[in-house]
Parts: sequence; structure tokens; C-alpha cells
Amino acid sequence: MSGRIIIERCVLLAFAAFMLTVPWSVPALVNTFWVSVIAEILIWSLFAASVNLLFGYVGLLSFGQALFFGFGMYGVGIGIDQLHLSFWPAFGLGIFAAMLMALVSGIFAVRLTWHYFAIITVVFSLIFYFLAVTMKPLTGGDDGINFTLPPTFSFGGTQWSFTNATFQYFFILATVTLCFYLMHLVIRSPLGKAFLAIRDNDVRASLIGLNVYLLRLTAFVMAGFLAGVAGALFAFFGRYASASYMFYHVSGEAVVWAIVGGAGTLFGPIVGTSLFIIIRELVSTHWEHHSLIVGVMAIVVVILAPKGLVGLWRDGLDRLVTRDDSKAAAAKLPADSKLRTDP
Amino acid sequence: MMDTLLLLAMNGLVWGLIIALIALGLSIIFGLLDIINIAHGDFFMVGTVLAWASLEATGNFWIGFIMVPLICLVLGALIQVTVIQPIRGVAALSIVATFGLSLILQEVVRMTFGATPRRILPPISGTVPLFGIEYEVYRLFAAALSLAALVAFFLFLQHTKLGIWMRAVRHDRDTAIAMGVPAQRVYVVTFAVGFALAGFGGVVAAPITTVDFRGGVDLLPVCFIAVIIGGLGNLPGTAAAAILLSLLEGIIQSVANPTVARISSLVLMSAVLLLRPQGLFKGHVR
Repeated sequence: MSGRIIIERCVLLAFAAFMLTVPWSVPALVNTFWVSVIAEILIWSLFAASVNLLFGYVGLLSFGQALFFGFGMYGVGIGIDQLHLSFWPAFGLGIFAAMLMALVSGIFAVRLTWHYFAIITVVFSLIFYFLAVTMKPLTGGDDGINFTLPPTFSFGGTQWSFTNATFQYFFILATVTLCFYLMHLVIRSPLGKAFLAIRDNDVRASLIGLNVYLLRLTAFVMAGFLAGVAGALFAFFGRYASASYMFYHVSGEAVVWAIVGGAGTLFGPIVGTSLFIIIRELVSTHWEHHSLIVGVMAIVVVILAPKGLVGLWRDGLDRLVTRDDSKAAAAKLPADSKLRTDP
Repeated sequence: MMDTLLLLAMNGLVWGLIIALIALGLSIIFGLLDIINIAHGDFFMVGTVLAWASLEATGNFWIGFIMVPLICLVLGALIQVTVIQPIRGVAALSIVATFGLSLILQEVVRMTFGATPRRILPPISGTVPLFGIEYEVYRLFAAALSLAALVAFFLFLQHTKLGIWMRAVRHDRDTAIAMGVPAQRVYVVTFAVGFALAGFGGVVAAPITTVDFRGGVDLLPVCFIAVIIGGLGNLPGTAAAAILLSLLEGIIQSVANPTVARISSLVLMSAVLLLRPQGLFKGHVR
């Protein structure tokens, strides 16, 4: 085990310990408002992870993941508001709607690659954005639909619902952790290796007998699942669903978060998302032009750390560790996954 | 009924010519630098705001037609050198960088110009009778000006040294460099010209649209649609697609609302992408 991995394990353990104590430690250190900010970061990290699964592991840059986020949101919103579903069926409906949409649009979209793929995913998401804006009776358009949340669990008289902030936080933490764990399992499985083979060279991948089209479609539906769960969670979290979350700017933000954090790494999206949302929350109360900082940061990170912040951290750590135990670790230098850039 | 149709179709045609200019800028940046420029709509927006600023400063709208493209040319060159050059060759990063650029341009405009949309009065007022309807003179003038700029751009591309270099680098970068074409300078010029085309579109369009820091957000997808339907790298195809699409949206708008018109052009674009990724028109494919 190289020194880097030991250090990373320690950081991860500290991170996990912190996440588990957030509802108590954060109000003690800052205030309760930041607990909900951290919950929001978790949700958006999951959304950024769906971009990362496609771009970082399969080499498909999707600029339309907001479509599936929106479907997850509307599945919950319409499920509760119009169909009067309880918590879990509405959750299921949101995820199912997102995955179905991912399957249908994926059948067409994954026939294309690179520029064309990026553009057709934007186009699909724009089509449904405009449809959602037009179908006001069903979707509420840009104003969205508000709803009251049914309880998550009820045993006899006792109920657990999102009105309890601590329960809300842990529900979101558990769901997001589960999704990241599932993604981790997929990446380490033979399926994940096939994804990487396609990312690095799709022609070679098809020559060794991989069904590139089907694998890309699988990844697309999986990414739709992640985005759908994120959207459904966000609908629960905000108690509303709105067409504005399907606009291409939302997809674009997720792409920025994933790439700035480090595409092709499991934790990159969390790092990128945390960075941008924390800055937004810190600055926006004092200065209304906080987007300016976001824009500058995106450019600076991309120029100085093209592998993202996680890539920068790993390179730095590797350099540090190799200096210590020289060749042993140097031999184990991980072949840092270079992202495919040529068309 | 016939009058509305004619009016909307004419408006569509005028917009189409303006959009053709902006989309051409997008297309040369796309084709030459391999960059998906998310900030391109904002380049147009900057053009409209600069037109407003030059009108405020000088009291004369006509100066803007000269000044704004020149300012945009300089801005474009600066942005290429500082932001685009360091990440050249990595298209995914360019999307993030231009997305950041888009945020910066919008925020700077919001800080200086303000968040309230404004209108500019056209420098030529009045209407002329045209096929039985009264049509605004300025819109006809805008169409003529855009057409002139389109022709000038194609002449520049065909007959000047820089234009030929630009075509050479797009066609085969390595050979062009081996033949002594200064590729680096060509990239700067291309990005600057792309910005200037969008900026010029902004000045021309300023009196017939609202000047708003979000003005580019809706325009960006339309320009991408034109570039794709026209065929990536097919510049005349891009211009033709922009004009046809706007005309079509204008005509659909006479029977349905603008959103339906937008959805139909998006569906048309998906079909083109899937069935004819080389674009609707036959021609040079990159």
C-alpha cells in the first residue's frame, strides 16, 4: 500500500466522521443554517457525480443531465401534488421517470459521440424544458409546484418526516452515500473496466468484443438514475419542483463542478460541488455578484489544474510520498487516468 | 391573417440574417479552435450593451456600428490569449472555461449596466409600405447591414491572406504550420473575429430587441442549432440554416406560440443530428 493511499484513507475517515456529526457539530461551530447547506451540497454532489460517471468513466460529455434531475423532481412533485402518493411511491416514481427518460433519450443520444453527443443532450433537455414551461397546469412552469411532504416512515403513532431537520439530513446523507457506494461498486466491477476501455479507445473496445453502444446506453441510464435520485431528493428538500431546474445552465454547473473537482475520480464531484456552493453561500450574503467569483474560479482551476482539484492533490501527494520512500512508491505510481480529448 | 404571417415571416428573415452573423462567429471558433463556446451568446449581449454605452456616451448611434466591433475584436484577442490559449487542445476544459467566461461577462454587465432591461430607439424611425404591410425601416436597414457584413466576411475569408490562413489551419493544421502559417496568430484572430461578428450582430439587433444582461442565454441554443443544421465547418450552410430556421420560426409563430416554434426547431435539429450529422446541406465536411 503506497503512502498516498494511507493518507487518503485517513482523510476519508475524518471526512466520514465529520459527516456523521454534522447536525451537532456544525450548529455548535457556526449555525444551523449550514446544516442545510451541507445537505444541499450532498444532493448537488450526487448530480455532479452523474456527469462524472458519463464523462470521467465513459468519455461522454453530457450537457443535459438537468433533464433527468428535472424528471426526478417532477416525478416526486406531481406524484405527491396531483396523484396524492405517499413518500416512498413518489420517490420511486421520480427515479423511475428519470431512468425511463434516460433510456428513451439514450437510445438516440449514445449513437453520437463527443461534440455531437454534448449538443444532442442539450437539445433534448431544452425540448423538455420548453415543454415543461408550456404545460403550466401540470408542471407550474417556471413558478413550479409547491407541496407538503408526507411522512417518510410512520409506525403507528410515531412518524419520521423531513420536518425534523436532523432526520432530513441523515436521510439525504444515507441516500447519497448509498448511491456513491453503488457507483464505486460499478466502477470496480468488470462493467466499470469496460466503461474505461470505451473511454480510452472506443474502436479498440469494440474490437475486443465489447458492445460499445449497449455499454454506453447502460452508463447513460445509470447516470440518469443518479441524477434522478438527486432531483427527487432536492424536491423533498425544497418541497417544490420547478421547470427552471431543467434549463441548460443547471447541467452546465454540474459539468463545471465535476471537472473542477476532478473528472474520473469518485470524490472529484464532491470536492468541486462543495467548493462552489460554500463560496456561493459565503459570498452571496455580502455581495450580490458572487457569480463573478465562480466564473473566475472555474477558469483559474481549469488553467492551473487541468486534472481537477483531486488530480492536483494526488499529484502533489505522490510527489511528497515519492520523496520519502523513493522507488517503492514510484513503481506504484498510478497511471493517472488521462481523459480522452481528441475527437 | 395574411398580414400577420407576412409580418412575422419578415421579422424572422431579419432576425435570421442577424443570427447568421452570430452563428458564423460560433462556427469559426468551433471549427478552428475546437471549442464549444458557451459564452458566445454573451458575446452578442456584450455587443448590445456596448451599443447602448456608445449611444449614451456620444449621443449618436451610428458611431456604435464602427466602435463596437472594434472593441469586441480587442476583447476577443485578449480573452483568447488569457483564457483560451492556456487550455488549447482540451475541448472539455474549454467548455468549463467558456462557461466561467459567460458568468463573468454577465456579472460584469450586471454590475456596470444594471439588471434592468432597456430599450434603444432605432436611429431610423418610420415605416415603409411593403407587400401591403407597413414595415419598419430600421429592420430593413438591419437586414441589409447584416447581409453586407456576411458578404464582407466571406470575401475576407476567400481573398485576404488572413482569411486564407484561417481556412488553411482549419483544413490541416500541421501542414499549414509546416508551410509557415503562424497558427498561434491565426487562433487569436479567429477568436477575435468570432467575438466581433457576435458583437456586430449585437449592435445591429440592439434597437429591435431589449438590452439585457441575460440577452445571450436564449440566443445560444439558436446559434448552435444553426451551426449543426448547416453542418459543422460548413460556413455558407450555417448562414443558410440560420436564415431558414428564423423564417420558419416566424411562420410557425403566426399559428402557434413562440415556445412551440422553438420546440419544433429543436426537434428538427435532433432529427438532423441523428440522420444527417454532416448537416442538411451537402458540402465540405470537416
